[in-house]
Parts: sequence; structure tokens; C-alpha cells
Amino acid sequence: MKLKTYLMGGAALAMMASMAHAGDVRITVAEYSSKTGPYFDKMAAEFEAANPGINIDVEVTPWDVLLQKLTTDIAGNANADLAIIGTRWLLDFVDQGIAEPLDGYIDDEFSGRFIETFLSPSVMDDQIYGLPVAASARAMYYNKALFEQAGLDGPPETWDELAADAKAISDLGEGISGYGLQGKEIETDVYFYYPMWSYGGNILNEDGSSGFGSDAAIQAATLYKSLIDDGLTQDGPTAYSREDVQNLFKQGKVGMMITAPFLANQIKDEAPELQYGIAPIPAGPDGDRGTYGVTDSIIMFANSGNKDEAWQFLDYLFTQGPRSEFTLGEGFLPVNQAVSEEPAFADNADLNAFAGVLPDARFAPVVSGWEEIADVASSALQRVYLGEESPEDAMSRAAKEANRILGK
Amino acid sequence: MNEGTAHSAAGPAQRSAARRRHAVPYLLIAPALVLAAVIVLWPLTVIGNISLHDVNRFGQLRGFSGLANFAELWRDPDFIATLWRTLIWTIGVVGGTLILSVPVALVLNRDFHGRALARVIIMLPWSVSVTMTAVVWRWALNGESGMLNSALRAGGITESNIVWLSSAATAFPIQIGIGILVSIPFTVTVFLAGLSSVPEDIYEAASIEGASSWQQLRTITLPMLRPFMTLAVVLNVIYVFNSFPIIWVLTQGGPANSTDILVTYLYKLAFRFGQMGQAAAVSIIMFAILLAITLLYVRLVTKTEAKS
Amino acid sequence: MNTKMRHTLIAWALIGPIAVVILFPFAVMLITALKPADEVLQPHWWPRNPQWGNFIAMWKATNFGPALLNSLLVSGFSTALAVAVSVPAAYALARMPFRGKGAFRQFLLISQMLSPIVLVLGLFQLVASLGLLDSKLSIVLVYAAFAIAFATWLLQSYFSTIPRDLEEAAWIEGASRTTAIRTVFLPLALPAIAVTCIFTFVQAWNEFVLALTLLRSQESYTLPIQIFSLVAGRYTIEWNYVMAAALVATVPVAIVFAIMQRHLVRGLASGAVK
Repeated sequence: MKLKTYLMGGAALAMMASMAHAGDVRITVAEYSSKTGPYFDKMAAEFEAANPGINIDVEVTPWDVLLQKLTTDIAGNANADLAIIGTRWLLDFVDQGIAEPLDGYIDDEFSGRFIETFLSPSVMDDQIYGLPVAASARAMYYNKALFEQAGLDGPPETWDELAADAKAISDLGEGISGYGLQGKEIETDVYFYYPMWSYGGNILNEDGSSGFGSDAAIQAATLYKSLIDDGLTQDGPTAYSREDVQNLFKQGKVGMMITAPFLANQIKDEAPELQYGIAPIPAGPDGDRGTYGVTDSIIMFANSGNKDEAWQFLDYLFTQGPRSEFTLGEGFLPVNQAVSEEPAFADNADLNAFAGVLPDARFAPVVSGWEEIADVASSALQRVYLGEESPEDAMSRAAKEANRILGK
Repeated sequence: MNEGTAHSAAGPAQRSAARRRHAVPYLLIAPALVLAAVIVLWPLTVIGNISLHDVNRFGQLRGFSGLANFAELWRDPDFIATLWRTLIWTIGVVGGTLILSVPVALVLNRDFHGRALARVIIMLPWSVSVTMTAVVWRWALNGESGMLNSALRAGGITESNIVWLSSAATAFPIQIGIGILVSIPFTVTVFLAGLSSVPEDIYEAASIEGASSWQQLRTITLPMLRPFMTLAVVLNVIYVFNSFPIIWVLTQGGPANSTDILVTYLYKLAFRFGQMGQAAAVSIIMFAILLAITLLYVRLVTKTEAKS
Repeated sequence: MNTKMRHTLIAWALIGPIAVVILFPFAVMLITALKPADEVLQPHWWPRNPQWGNFIAMWKATNFGPALLNSLLVSGFSTALAVAVSVPAAYALARMPFRGKGAFRQFLLISQMLSPIVLVLGLFQLVASLGLLDSKLSIVLVYAAFAIAFATWLLQSYFSTIPRDLEEAAWIEGASRTTAIRTVFLPLALPAIAVTCIFTFVQAWNEFVLALTLLRSQESYTLPIQIFSLVAGRYTIEWNYVMAAALVATVPVAIVFAIMQRHLVRGLASGAVK
């Protein structure tokens, strides 16, 4: 009697379970904004209408837990057919035979759709393992009104000028700081690479060992520490994530910050009055400069049972219309040549400023254990910012740690 | 008692009836046992297995490695520091909860104007998921646009904005405080239950004998509450030791690992650095610690109870 | 009256500060929820231009309705399942001597000690090998399993306070054991069962880590995940909607607590703690 009730309850519940069919293509996508889910649902519907018999399941996952979800999926042998991943994770996926090489599907027409800079990070051992779906670079936003009030005529060209400008802006008082310094969570390390690159440093040396102990790295950390000590950044940078610093910028509380194109979109919605400009990242004494380029890629899983159908969907996603809609909605840089020539992008001053810095773009190094190395760098910087360790000690310790992870 | 000893009788029919009766308690516990064993214990064996293997970042086994994962952890100074911090976290939250919950429960147990309202307020944190509570606090603790700073300044308590989450010195105590806040409702409920089980006439008898209310508290109330305290402490230790959202949402264990506890460390190892083997080893160590603490505590308490 | 006034003063002197700290996040939620997008980042308290419409906009923007339904389904079914397996187990523990009772109790204590986050990898493999990923059934089963220890303990300590004579009297009158349980025991056990249901339900309602791992499509998201996905790594966070959603998700549980808390205390109290 009781058993029967259980069984019936179980059967009713089981019907809520989703079941997979042949011809189904599952795709895991990262949620970049509230527009991401609806966008992919729309693409799936359009594709299904044109390709009866293929059914697309879209699984939208918050960015912060994407890697966790992919990991558990793969560990449980329950991954989708396609997934968006951070291109910097790709190496592990390739090493472990999880990502399928796509060369067999790609012809010249297809690869010609992409802007070369953004496709190259997804190429490993001469094979294309991922298709760049989202791309961005970093540039410096500056608050024109604050610059004017401080009597400055334009954004700084070098880091020395930046320090001077930050001083002039901080002197305005009223809780305004010159330079917004990120010191918490994702990309804390990246915020430090900008000056490191400008001073001629590199994340990895030629021989593949860590460059964190280099003079350039120590100079960069020292620069940031002196900005903090002189009160030219917001108070307590280790409490500010990228989003928090962006909020400061939107509120007009910092004069400058370095971040991605999507801040421009947010400013339009949340602080339409704000007068801002976008400039390249300041150069070092020798004119070196570098910005951080990031792409996310769609990969196909090697264990997918519906590769041909999955490819058909990819082929559709990477045509001009769908690409244009996605890139515009999310505020990324175009990865398709044709899209970048559309007026909406070609005539957009903000995006042009970003396109202008692309030649300086550097991508996360392709080494396994990169996330751990980035965390080592972030922790070392946080200790510097908090004054717990000198830039020299912290950075040389970080280099040692990183070398251990790199096996150098 | 009657059903357990009845099987000495002779006839086969009786014997099978006795056997059936004998089986009844096992049949009754079977569904609970099976469900909990499959879903809670089976994964534990999976984790144990992973901890003894060399695994890739996707949890796929790559060969037996003995205790290498554990040895690797032991060499990591961050792990040792995290171990101690987890102890402080657990003692801080559980202790703080206990210290606040006893007087709150005592007060709520007596009649006063607005008691119904007070009870509802004390219970409120229970109705929000801890993750959401943490998200709201992160938002409120923001240095510049956080409402805590603007409230403190408006109230004349502080003059300038305090950047609460910039270092462990302020962040960790705040995290402990939030931990206490969300543990109070359950603990107070347990204590209220304990208080309502104390018969009124004991107090009457005590007042007739001239015991002051302080003496009554010490000699009657607190001893009667003791089993409820044991319960609350054991359950809270388990919850708090394993509690992930407060620290993760507010600081992700940072800056520079200075607010990491074992669960956040485990999460980073597993899902950020892809060190599945070491992460599994942390799981096993956590389980062992919890087991040891709980058994020790329960034994200690039963011993003192037996004495008194 | 005079002593009551004194009690009132002492009580509020103690509860007051705690209440302020407890209510603070709720105030933050409400006020942020009412701010228009361009005021969200300004830390002043009362919005200059309160937007009650945010709640309606939030409902649509965050897909709140389906998530609410999912939460109700998952919490409801898992509570039902947990209680359905815990009641017989608790009855056996409270009423019947059997070999292995101590071992079963220890087993329950151990299962109570393991938290989902520690087990998440193993759990995931289990659920995946059962083919139940993204099914609400998996969440129902897992929630129920994690609730068993506490539910069984709560129920058995209450059950052992229900006098045995009543059931025995029914047997003497010729009722079978099952009938006696149904007509005599269960009605008396109802308050404890109700309390157990509330505990289990709230636990499931607020659970986060497992839902995040085991549910993958937005159609099956429960409320905590749905709300979290609004803040987790998005480039743009609509804080006013997040706070509105958090507040609305809180209200039903808060009301249940307000109504039921006297029963909660009574249900816990009657089963002397063992």
C-alpha cells in the first residue's frame, strides 16, 4: 500500500525529468547579462524552425559557476554537446581530450569570417579547438568632467602622467579619487599587468618561467602601492572588485579606471549624464604598453553523440545576423569581420577606441594551472596593497610559487 | 520489549509470525536507511576514492597515488592557516550564538508587551536563504555606496566611510557576526522549547523557599536547558563548520587567503584550480575533524550529565 | 502590571539592538528594491523617486513565477518524501527494540555531519549515473536524504513521549497494530510531524549549493539559484531587481514562521531532547 504510493509518487516525479533524444543538441552558455538567455533561446528557435528534426537545448549558467558546472558535468560524464568556455581554460580541455578539434568542419569561408586576433587564442597544435564567441579588450575610461575641474586637458599618456593627474583629481576633495584600483576577485592580477607590461615585463619569461619577480613587476607593484599610500586611489582597494570600481566610476567618484567595453553600455543605462572618454592604457618609459585581450570560445565536446547537428548550429550562430545581435546586445567587440564593418560598430566611438588598442592586446598565457598562478599573483598584490609585505618580497615569493606550479 | 523476546515459542506458524514481527523494525527503518545511505554515504566513498588517486581537473582518475594528496596539503602553509581559521570561525559563531541566544530565549519566554512581534523579528533571518543574506550584506557593506556606512554616518557613529571588506581585521569579525545572526533563530527556537518544558511549579516552589531569580536561573533553568544546549551546539557546529555562502559571497576567502575557511579553500581547489585530488582530501579531513569533535563533545556531555 | 512593564523594558533593551541588526538587511532590500536604476548606486536611504513598479518589472525580468513554482514543487515533494520515510524509522526507534538500533542512530548522526558542498562531486556523479541530471526528481531525492537525520531524530524524541498505554488499550480492544497506529498514534503525533515538515521545507526552500550543481536549465531553477544568477558574474547587475526578488522570496516563509512559531516551539519541546 505504502510502497505503491511511493512508486506512484516516484513515477509522477520522473515525468518531470527531461529526457534526451537523438538529434538533440545541448549547449551550455555563460550568462553575460540578462539578455544572454533570451538571445540563445531565440537563436535556438530560429534554428529549429529552419532545421526540423534538430532540437536545441540551451543551458544558461552564471559566469561565476561556469567552470564548476563544466567540471562536474565532465566528471559525471554528463556534459553537453557544445559549451562556452573561457579560452584561457582551453588548454586543459585539449590536454585531457575533452575538446574536439574543429578543423574537419571548418573551410576557408568559415575561418575567413573571424578577425584573426580573436581566433588565434583558440588554436592549439595547429588545430582550431574553439570558436571565439565573445571578445573584449581593456582600455582606460576617464571622467571628462573631473579632468576639466582639475584643469587637465586630456587623459595621461604615461604612468607618470597618470600619477600626476590622479593627484590633481584627488585634490578636488569631496571623496573623489584619481585612479580606481581594483584589488578583489577576478582580474585583480590583470589590473597589475597593465603597468607591468608598460614597464617591459611579461607574465612568463622566454624560458617559460614566471616573470613576477622581474624589475618591471616590482616597479608596477611599487607604483600601485605608492598611489595607495599617497591617497590617489579609493580607500581600501582590496575591498573593491571590478564591478565595485565600475560603480565608483559611474558615480563619478574616481577619475580613471581600466576596464572592458561593457562599462560603456552600463553608463548609458545607469549614469546617462556622465561625461566620459576612452583612452589607451598609459605607456611606460620606453613606450611599451599592453592591454588584456579576452575571448570566450564555444567548444564541441569530443564525446558528443550529435556532432554534425551541433556543427550545423554553430555554423548558424556564426553567421552575420546572429553575431551582430549578440555582440550589440552584450557590448562586446565584434569577432566577425563583416560584423565589425556594420555601421553600428564602425561608427561607435567607444568601440573604435577599443579596436584601436587591439594591436597591444595580450592574452592569458597558455599554460596549465593558469587560474592558480593568477590567484598567486592576486594574493601577492593584496598583501602589497594592505602593506603586509614589500613589493620586492611579495613579488619574488609569487614568482617562486608560480614557478612551482609551472614546474620550472 | 514484548516483540523482541517473543520468538522462543515452538510451532512453525508462530515462529514465522515471530520472525515477521522481528523483521518489522528493520522494514520500518529500511526506506530511511537506504535513501540516506545511497545519497549521503555513497558519494563519501567516491570522494574517499578520489582523494587516494591522481586525478585530472575533471575528476577522472589517473592512477593510485596513496596519500600524496594529503601530503601535498600538509606542505601548503595556507592550508594549515585555514585549518586554524576554521576553528576560530566555528568557535566564534557557535559560541557567539550561544551567548546571545540564551538571554534572548529567557526574555522571550516571559510575558512582555510586544513579545509576539519580538519573536517574529528574531525568527526573520531564518526565512531568507543564507546566500541571499550574504549577497545583501555584501551590497550593504560596500565602502562607498554601501548603506551601512551611510547609516552609521547619519547616526553620527562614524565620521568617514569604513571599507569593511578590505582586510581580514574587519571582514572576518563581520562574517562571524553574520554567521551568528543567521544561527540565532534556530538556536533560540530550541532554547524556547527547552524552557517551555520546565514545569512552572518548580519555580513556584523555589520562590516560596525564597530563592532569588538569579538562583532560580542558575539552579533550575540552566541545568534544565543543558540537553537543549548540547543539541544546539552539536547541530550548530556541524552547520557552521560546513557553511560556505557567507565567506564566499563576501570575500571569496580573500584578501590574500586571509578569510579562507576549509570549505572555501576546498571550493577553490576543486573548481578554480582543478586540484580535484587535493579537494577530495580536504573533504575527507573535514569529515574526520567533524566526526572527532562531535563524538568527543557528545561523550563529554553525557559524562558530565551522568555525574550531575 | 508593574513587573510586566519592567520585563518589557528589560526585554526590549536586550532585543532592541539585535532586532536592529536583524532588520537592517531587510531595510536594505526594501529600499534598494524601490530605487530606480539611476539611484541604486547612491547610498541615501529613502529613494527620491520610489518605484513600486520595480516589483512587477522584476517578476518578468527575473522569470520569478516559474522559479517560485519550482521551489514550491521541490520543497513540497522533498518534505513529503523525507517525512514519509522518517516517520516509520522514528516509530521503530521510539517503540521497538531491535539489534543495530545504536548503529542506526550513529549512522544518522554521521549522515547529518556531511554537508552537500563537501560531497558535491560525489553526489553529482551519483545523480549523473542515475540519469537524473537537471531533473527536479534528483533534487527532491537529495534534499529528502539530507533531511532524514534531523527529521527522524525530531520525530523519535517526540514519539517516545506519547504514552504507550493508549495504543495498548486499542490492541486489547482488538485493533490490529496498524489500526492502532492509524487511529490512536498518528493523530497524537501530528504536531511533531507538522514541525518536522516546516523544518524540512525551509531547509529545502533555502538550499543553494546542490540546486546550483544539479539543475542546469533555467526552466528548472529554484528561487535561490534564480536570484543568485542575477548577481553571479554578470557584467551588469540590476541590484534593484535582485533585492526585490530576494524580498518577495522571503515573504512566504516569513509569514509561515510568524504563524507557526508557537507550534514550532511546542513541537520541539514536547519531545524531551535525547
